Amino acid sequence: MQPLDTRAAVGELAQDLGWLENYCRQQPELAMNAGTLRLASALTRNVIGPFLDDQPAMPLHIAVVGGAGAGKSTIVNFLAGSVVAEANPQAGYTRHPTAYLPAGPTFPWPSYIGFMGPLNRISEEKPADLDQDVYQVKRLPPPAAGGLDPLSEFVIWDCPDMTTWASAGYVSRLMEVAALADLIVYVASDERYNDAVPTQFLHLLVKAGKAVVVVLTKMREGDAGPLADHFRREVLGRLPKLPGGTTPAVPVLAFPQLPQTVRSDPAGAGAKYRVPLLNQILVQCETAVAARARTVTNAARYLSTAGEGLLDVARRDLAEFDAWKGAVIAGEAEFKDRYRREFLSGEQFRRFDRYRERLIDLLELPGAGRMLGNVLWVLRTPYRWTRNTIASMVVRPDMLNLSEQTVLSAALMGWLDKLQAEALARAGSHMVWKGIAQGFETGLGTQARDKFQQDYRTFELKETDELEHAGQQMVDALEKNPAVLYALRVGKLATDVMVVGGVLILTWVPSWYHLLLIPLGVSATHQTAELVARGAAEAARARVRNQRESLVASALADPLAEWLAGRPATGGTSFERLQQVLKRVPETIHRLDEQVAARVAGSIPLAASAPTPPPEHPTA
Amino acid sequence: MNPSPDPVVADNPPLPEPPPEPLLRALAPRLRGLERQLRGWLDAPRRFPLTMLQRAEIEGLVGDLGRQADALDVERPLLVVMLMGGTGVGKSTLLNAIAGSPIAQSSFTRPTTRDPVVYFHHSVRSDRLDPALRVCRLAQHDRPGLEQKVIVDTPDLDSNDLANRDKLLALLPIADVVLYVGSQEKYHDQLGWDLFKEQRQRRAFAFVLNKWDRCLTGESGLRPDEDLLADLKAEGFENPLVFRTTAQAWVDAANATGPGSTPKPENLPPGEQFALLRNWLELGLTRIEIESVKAQGVGQLLTHLARVVEEVRPPDLSAIAGKVQTGWESALADEAGVQADVLVGALEPYQTEVEHHFSVEGQQRFRGLMAAYLRLTTLFRYAGSRLRDRHPITGRLLGGKVETPAEWNLGVFAQDCTRAAGERVLDQRTTALVNRLLVEADHRGFPLTLLSESTAAVGRLDWRERVTRAVIDALSEVERQATHPTGWRRWVRGTLGVLANALPEVSLVVTAGIILWSFMVYQHVPDLFQMLLIAIVPLTVIIVLHVLILLVLPIRWPVIRNEFRGRLETGLAAELGRVYLPIPGEIAAALTAEREQVEKLTAETRQISEWLAQRQQAVRVSELYGR
Repeated sequence: MQPLDTRAAVGELAQDLGWLENYCRQQPELAMNAGTLRLASALTRNVIGPFLDDQPAMPLHIAVVGGAGAGKSTIVNFLAGSVVAEANPQAGYTRHPTAYLPAGPTFPWPSYIGFMGPLNRISEEKPADLDQDVYQVKRLPPPAAGGLDPLSEFVIWDCPDMTTWASAGYVSRLMEVAALADLIVYVASDERYNDAVPTQFLHLLVKAGKAVVVVLTKMREGDAGPLADHFRREVLGRLPKLPGGTTPAVPVLAFPQLPQTVRSDPAGAGAKYRVPLLNQILVQCETAVAARARTVTNAARYLSTAGEGLLDVARRDLAEFDAWKGAVIAGEAEFKDRYRREFLSGEQFRRFDRYRERLIDLLELPGAGRMLGNVLWVLRTPYRWTRNTIASMVVRPDMLNLSEQTVLSAALMGWLDKLQAEALARAGSHMVWKGIAQGFETGLGTQARDKFQQDYRTFELKETDELEHAGQQMVDALEKNPAVLYALRVGKLATDVMVVGGVLILTWVPSWYHLLLIPLGVSATHQTAELVARGAAEAARARVRNQRESLVASALADPLAEWLAGRPATGGTSFERLQQVLKRVPETIHRLDEQVAARVAGSIPLAASAPTPPPEHPTA
Repeated sequence: MNPSPDPVVADNPPLPEPPPEPLLRALAPRLRGLERQLRGWLDAPRRFPLTMLQRAEIEGLVGDLGRQADALDVERPLLVVMLMGGTGVGKSTLLNAIAGSPIAQSSFTRPTTRDPVVYFHHSVRSDRLDPALRVCRLAQHDRPGLEQKVIVDTPDLDSNDLANRDKLLALLPIADVVLYVGSQEKYHDQLGWDLFKEQRQRRAFAFVLNKWDRCLTGESGLRPDEDLLADLKAEGFENPLVFRTTAQAWVDAANATGPGSTPKPENLPPGEQFALLRNWLELGLTRIEIESVKAQGVGQLLTHLARVVEEVRPPDLSAIAGKVQTGWESALADEAGVQADVLVGALEPYQTEVEHHFSVEGQQRFRGLMAAYLRLTTLFRYAGSRLRDRHPITGRLLGGKVETPAEWNLGVFAQDCTRAAGERVLDQRTTALVNRLLVEADHRGFPLTLLSESTAAVGRLDWRERVTRAVIDALSEVERQATHPTGWRRWVRGTLGVLANALPEVSLVVTAGIILWSFMVYQHVPDLFQMLLIAIVPLTVIIVLHVLILLVLPIRWPVIRNEFRGRLETGLAAELGRVYLPIPGEIAAALTAEREQVEKLTAETRQISEWLAQRQQAVRVSELYGR
């Protein structure tokens, strides 16, 4: 795949997930899924995209996260080695993330399009409580007296909290940075460490495959050990299993309540606490390339395992959409059934009687033979009268049908009414139905009827054509085939002549009652011919009935059903997009996952052979 | 900023206790009465449905009502002060500090408190406590200042142990005053804040910012107490009671000196107000304030109740029901028209039988020769209709379709027709009709949920039976009219009848008489033709009369058909209307009755509320409640 394609795929996936996130945000019952979706789209944009685009692995990113007042800023200061972040007693003061770049040679800041998503970088320095979709970047002061900066390859992110009631507005910014990070420092105070909301967040990070270092803060010096144990047991003991089935190893460090003097001098007085923390971080990120490869691999794996779950929100809505489709199709079946029963079953297609008569006419001889035919016709008169009289007495008239138009419009109305009643009854259960019920209020029914009327006009033309065609076909079978026609004519004539001749010869000299056999005989031959013609007409009638049924389905019912079923997907509603997203996201995730795997497999030996400076392990 | 002085304690020297006024006690029976009424109303079957949420909310409120009634029905009501807050903010430490001894377990592991602790005066018998409190850990004390107060330490609301949250939610309805405890980290937390916002309309709230020492480290931003005050102001608490405390310091000091003592610890951070909190609990909440808080609590409960009950008041649908009825009438009339068409169409195959039947009926009034003649001709004319039923094969041979034989019995025959029509058309139409009516009703603004059950029930009725009856009725009606006409037809018929009954016999007698006369008088021997005249003349007369009857009073299918269709349509319309039309009206009437009931309940609630408001003493407890 070309880099351009990859970029497009990443952009598309991020956009789809972002769209789904917004979609969830707009619906109160789905809003809780928005955070996870944001994490997924941020992983795509901030981690997978740059990696596949061959952006340099360095710098690595450390995100410091935790509940309000847990001591995130203090930990940032300890990581930086000097007081750079304002520790502030106001809970939820920090409202946007701040990145601290190491002193020394400048890193190229990631230039990937879509990096950090909607968050803009602000150039001038602003207080941390600026509540906007932004992030700022600050440069750390160089370490004092020529000391080495152990985190010279890292960017440290100070993040907002996720516990205060204002955090609903900025938790997406936190997700953005958490997704970007190669390592998370999860800060939990002695008050917070067993809280539900931060723990959920920790679970999410672990599931996303982030390397996590936990820092417990603010306990009394003596409680540090037991507290860490309790944390390991209560919180880490319940961590979700990784996709590989292993429980992640999460190191826990304790930072007791520190006096102001220690807090303000992290590199000096605070070194006792700082060095183990730095060690843990460096252990987890031995080389930049490997750490980044791990981040990317885990992100891709998370997307491919959690992707299905992420789409559940969309799937539920689509299920309702399918239920609507099902209702439309059931209505269509009923519509067809009504047409068949109310109209087709009783319809005689009288036009066929005309074709039947023509068929019998065809058997008569043309020209001079017509005279003979007329004689025979006269001979058959008594038979004809008798037959008609008996028939009128014995044959029951047919049940009268409603007209085709009446049946169709009643069936259509029944169909639409059923759908509307269903939509109204279910309007409370889901917004799909509510939308449809509203659609009916605002003229969906009228539109459907208009559409039906249009279709009906073409249907009417087609049905007349078809009927004529079927009748014509019946006659054409003989007319277009003179050999058969003449054979039949001659055959019939021969039979008549044989009957007359046979009677005369066998009963010579015939008496008057013997002569009566002649009209009887010719009547019998004619009746046979008529029965055959009637059979042909009946067969054609059955054919037309079937054809008409399929014509109604194809010309009237199917287009309308399609239009109705597609109704929620058009007119500015989000279902079209929802379907698209559901189809596209798993495919794209799969594709990117494969690419990441291939790229990582290629880059690891490369990284091993490449001369990278060994990480510094500061020792106390 | 200096911590704001506590208004109750600072400005209000302890008042002499007023003479006991049994206000709250008098309230109890009225609350019980209201509770009973509400329960009755909840249990009664109803047309207008309550959602699960509404029902649960009302049931909860009614339960609270009963609880309040029980709590008030005593000489000296108890004030329940409940500590509420996240894990680790120091609720238990605060209670220990108030008690001066470690009655509630507190430790560094979170969450600590899993079972609520109830701190109350030893003079209060534990069976006077609310049942929910009796199962908690009980700790008694002998401090006179807290005699009428019960302080409850609750589990947290935000830890991973979700059972704790449920326990807290189960206890909250008992609280009169909630002491919302926050710390520097948690005063802003969403979970606690949401719960506060949900509960603030129902109880008194005071606030504690514990771990005050940790709040004073700031370099920038708002100090937590100022931040909290601003938030509370935004929520409508203009002048809330906020206590800044460092409970741990007080507990440590008490531990150092031994249980029972309450020494003031050294090195308290500036602005620490635990002493103020203790004072407020002991002295600030006097008997009169307790009554006021209690009364306010009941008032809030009643207001809330009135609002919730008002929300479930069924709408007034009588006007809409009328409109729906009009709409349905036209829909049903259309339907009756089509059904009549279908049924008449289904009768078409039986037209000969119908004619035959009518003719036979018409012949009943003829006597003598005419009757004999008619019977004979009818037999011949309609021979076919019997023939084809006995010999269905002839029908098939001649190209007709074979029908199931129908005996000429009006009931069976009508049933046959209805079945044929039902299978082909009417069954589908009946289900479609129900939907049509529902849509029509919705169009006019009638809630569908109320209707669908009744209409579905009606749709399940045995329609074929009803239609059969309508067919029979219409046929007999037409028959009666045909055989018993009115107006000029009646006269014509009567005349013809008399003539037909008399003339053939008369002509026979006259012809025979003339021939006999000529034989007797003129000795004229009649020839064969003259003898035959005796038969021919009456026959001619009969035939002429018959033709006359057929011309003037025809009984032919096309004539009967229209008449029959009209009657059938009327009959069907009446039947459909009888079943469907009353439905909206009935529902509207039922709703009106339910509506009146709800209004009565709301009025009753309001009345108690007003009664309470008039008697409630104007004590300054307003800072415990926001706007």
